[in-house]
Amino acid sequence: MWTFLRRRIISSAIPLIVVIVGVFALARLTGNPASLYLPLNATEQMREDFTARNGFDDPLLVQMANYFGGVLRLDFGVSLRTGEPAGEMVLRAFPATLQLAGVTMLLAVVLAVIVGSWAALKPNGIVDRISSFASMAAASIPDFWLAIMGIWVFAITLGWVPTSGVSSPTSWLLPIAVLLMRPFGVLVQIVRGAMVTSLSEPYIKLARSKGASEVRVVSRHALRNAAAPALTVAGDLAVGLINGAVVVESIFGWPGIGKLMIDSILQRDFAVLQAAVLLTAISIFALNILIDLGYAMLDARVRPTTRARKRRVTPAAAQERKLNVQPTR
Amino acid sequence: MSSPLANPQLPPGGRSVTPPSTEVIALPRTLDTSKPGLFHLLLKDRFATAAAIVLVLVGLTALVGPTLMGDLATQQNLSATNRPPFSLAEGWQFILGSDSLGRSMLARLVVATQTTLSVALPAVGISLVIGSLWGVWAGFHRGWRETISMRIADVIMSFPSLLLAVVVLYVFSPSAANIVLILALTRIPIYLRTARAESAELQSRTFVDAARTFGTKPAAIIRRHVIPVVLPTLLTLATLEFCYVMLAESSLSFLGIGIQPPDVSWGLMVAQGRQYLQTAWWLSLFPGLAIVITTVAANVLAAWLRIATDPAQRWRLTLKHKRKRFIARMPVKEVA
Amino acid sequence: MSSSSSTSANHKFRSPRSGLVGAAIAAGSMLILSSCAVANSEPSTGTTSADLVRIVLPQEPPTLEPCEANLTSTGVVVRSNITEPLVERNPTTGDLDPLLATEWEATGDTEWTFTLRDDVTFSDGTPFNAEAAAFAIDRAVNSDLGCNVEGYVFGDNDLVVTAVDETTLTVSTVTPDPILPLRLSFVEIVPPSTDTAAKVREPVGTGPYKVKQWDAGTKLTLERNDDYWGDAPAYAEAEYQWRAEGTVRAAMITSGEADLAMGLGADDGAGDLGLDYPNNETVALRLTAEIAPLNDIRVRQAINYAIDKQGITDSLYQGAHIPAAQLVPEGIVGHNPDLKPWEFDVAKASALVAEAKADGVPVDEKITIVARNAQFPKVSEMSQILQEQLTQAGLNVELKMVDTSAHLQYQLRPFVTNEGPIALLIQHGNQAGDAAFSVEQYMTTTGAQSVYGTPEFDTRLTDASVLTGDDRESAYQDIFEYQNEEIVQFAFIAHQTGVIGKAAAVDYTPNSSSGDELRLAEITPVS
Repeated sequence: MWTFLRRRIISSAIPLIVVIVGVFALARLTGNPASLYLPLNATEQMREDFTARNGFDDPLLVQMANYFGGVLRLDFGVSLRTGEPAGEMVLRAFPATLQLAGVTMLLAVVLAVIVGSWAALKPNGIVDRISSFASMAAASIPDFWLAIMGIWVFAITLGWVPTSGVSSPTSWLLPIAVLLMRPFGVLVQIVRGAMVTSLSEPYIKLARSKGASEVRVVSRHALRNAAAPALTVAGDLAVGLINGAVVVESIFGWPGIGKLMIDSILQRDFAVLQAAVLLTAISIFALNILIDLGYAMLDARVRPTTRARKRRVTPAAAQERKLNVQPTR
Repeated sequence: MSSPLANPQLPPGGRSVTPPSTEVIALPRTLDTSKPGLFHLLLKDRFATAAAIVLVLVGLTALVGPTLMGDLATQQNLSATNRPPFSLAEGWQFILGSDSLGRSMLARLVVATQTTLSVALPAVGISLVIGSLWGVWAGFHRGWRETISMRIADVIMSFPSLLLAVVVLYVFSPSAANIVLILALTRIPIYLRTARAESAELQSRTFVDAARTFGTKPAAIIRRHVIPVVLPTLLTLATLEFCYVMLAESSLSFLGIGIQPPDVSWGLMVAQGRQYLQTAWWLSLFPGLAIVITTVAANVLAAWLRIATDPAQRWRLTLKHKRKRFIARMPVKEVA
Repeated sequence: MSSSSSTSANHKFRSPRSGLVGAAIAAGSMLILSSCAVANSEPSTGTTSADLVRIVLPQEPPTLEPCEANLTSTGVVVRSNITEPLVERNPTTGDLDPLLATEWEATGDTEWTFTLRDDVTFSDGTPFNAEAAAFAIDRAVNSDLGCNVEGYVFGDNDLVVTAVDETTLTVSTVTPDPILPLRLSFVEIVPPSTDTAAKVREPVGTGPYKVKQWDAGTKLTLERNDDYWGDAPAYAEAEYQWRAEGTVRAAMITSGEADLAMGLGADDGAGDLGLDYPNNETVALRLTAEIAPLNDIRVRQAINYAIDKQGITDSLYQGAHIPAAQLVPEGIVGHNPDLKPWEFDVAKASALVAEAKADGVPVDEKITIVARNAQFPKVSEMSQILQEQLTQAGLNVELKMVDTSAHLQYQLRPFVTNEGPIALLIQHGNQAGDAAFSVEQYMTTTGAQSVYGTPEFDTRLTDASVLTGDDRESAYQDIFEYQNEEIVQFAFIAHQTGVIGKAAAVDYTPNSSSGDELRLAEITPVS
């Protein structure tokens, strides 16, 4: 396992560097931020001062070399917008997003397993129909619309939750509910599909015939089998959550990294953008490695003897499973 | 795409050389021969029929709508803004109300259909074609080609696609063409990974080995034996992605860099209508419904199509109603 | 939650929806509100409404550095709350009021002398004197910090600042500057202990409040400065939060989570809790009058006639904006009250275009309206109306919506020149109260934001800038008239009105500078 881990980490390092170089170059292409940071009537002299002060007049390669030199010393530069060290700003915002995404993902998985399993017990039954329809619809609603609608209904009209902010525990409800929709919608369909399959497999029939209760059959036997595809897809969905976080955080005033990233793009705050992207990329790679590990363990435990299985199933392969377990009509 | 049946080097009974446990190696087949049957099958499934009708309507609207209603959609009337829907007092054009500039919502929705589809379809199409071919190629050859391809996919996937789109659209102006390109680029890895996995698995199969033994060139094997098999899966994936792309386009509008006025798309309408949520809910609800209905219909049809185009499962659709519940018990295809 | 009934009474609010539902909602939200109020409050202090005023801004202040306080997002928190200038402009009368300086006079062609208060200390205990004032002005204007206020009000010219004695300060300029005191009203005074090598995020000042805590990303709390030299403000603490969406800010007012919401739009849903106020912003199309067909004055006039200013105001802003005839609104020195907006007359506009066409002007040339996303509420709607109305006049008009950074490339020198004729939608705010700030930028041939001018017009502008008193006033009034008759670089649309959401529990009357400088001392609880 350690060999595997080491290999994955090494092979992730190069893509990481590519990501940073790419962002660095792209960000510089969006133009000199001087006019954004200087007053409208700034003179040519002021413009030059600004450019020189921030090193934007160096050749791109020199700028990049300086930046990487800084990164190696854990110096991520200073935010143009706030004058704070970019690394600090990013580390401060990261936990908020991590918590939001973590709780959302956890809830999505738990709910999807419950709903998906329930639906799978009677394929094409009423529960199945409703849940697959609802989950599909939920996954196709624009998140910002849902967020503003949610605020209107639950915060203003009903007054159940605060409109936004992080001040009380109840203020978590709306952002999570909004962020939940897409992963939940997709996961329900995957869990359901996987469950339908495993419930029809011989060993389940065996368990049933031995008189195991339905709950036990589902929770002990079938679910384990269905966990693998769900786990991998959950990984991809978790990455997708960052997209949702950009929108949800800026609406709900959530002090997370999604909001920070979009602000830094809008304000051409290069140092912060780069630091944020670096941290996100690292955590996404870490997540992928964890999922691979989890998958390998699950795989080894659940079906060590499956004849057809000749090699470890990669997350990519599971992507395909996801497709094959879509609900039927 | 030629059928393997036309290939003399492969026995027509391709299935006989495949292990019985792998349903996934459904016989590569020509779509042409199955079409009449497909249509017949479709009519038997009420949900799939409804979905197909919805999609055909959406497609027709996109094709002819702008010609019919293009002028109406830009006709402003500042004295009749934000008229509520479901009233014929202002004429049939305002059955869905009017927007903040007094334009007909109905006409705007119709015209927006074309823009929406002309972003979503090419974006999905481009990423599907590039991602699939690349993935199949990488998976078929394995080795360094596979490794490099997968690392490239990692790079794209490790950067939140929405943010990448935002950055790129700031560099290059947010025109429809650029939105299509960037959405296509960020979604290539999805197809790349799937196609690679399937193709890598297929290339070790006996019938591929057989073709290789007979001296068929890799390109030909890919074309004749690999692509036809992975295509249904990829097409299903593309339907799911269709939903994603429409939503992404909408999110870009929310961030102010999607489709720009005076062009109009469903996503833009939802994004712009959000500020009127309390005073004129119809401005964002109707385009939002359009997105939801279209994607649900596409998903329903895709789910049905996957079974219908899979000979190993197709029989399930022909069952009598009573036994229909078994249709859903389709196995997860094993990849390994 | 149940134990918090005592605090819930502090968040009085009226639901916009009346009747039973309203009452039920009110009861429900009270519970929620009170629970979050508890979560918000510091353990040591109970939260009562006389203790805390909660304000929601469109964005988090990037910094509280006083020498950047002319930026709206920073200034709205800093100015006159944390730090104070020597003199301040009264937004209602337009006069300069004494603040840290009690008197000032021109003591030479290029020199002004200020007499300072002697009873002021900074919130860190340092005494305020001429030395400190000189330090602060030097730091903001003459240093290498690249302060925004330096570029904004002083340009490249340095000032010579001398502390004559404890309470006397002289400021000299290179050329005569009759509005130097007004310019200095933008310079916030900081103590000599302030960093001169770098900008500070949390400044010390002489204002009625000081920074208590800044949870970056979440909220910013100011507390009363107990050593304040003037009257103590009503609220012991002020808490700032920020939400990007206008609808959310309005919702926080209706749900009782905030007392004041800044920067709302007419449709954001604040309802009766929204207060309109003139915000000194003017919206106009700026025409590239040197590129055909806009180089023909008839085409530029036609554009002015083609725009239905009243219609735009009524349909988009519920009639709250005022159709504009000039670059500055009422209340700014130089505003010409006799100028009437161009009448809306499509026939006249078409006739002018046809006339120009007959003379060989290429009126079919594509004109691009460039507008900036989210620059002000409903900018995209307004742009689409403009496109439609100019098209009605017989012009070939395209609309291009861009982001801030791209918009600046059109707005500032060096301009985008390779895209043909451009009608740029600009929003100009004159925070300073004198037309000089506007015309220098927008009307001189070389102005940073001006695309057209004539030598004759330039002379008029230069002459006006050194005048004082009534002469100055009437000189600028003539200038605005001249622009409409002879120059026509602009098609003015409206003087804007801002909306501030205000909960029933607080008393506050917004004025034209509320958006740039929200004086906490002017906010009081409703008793």
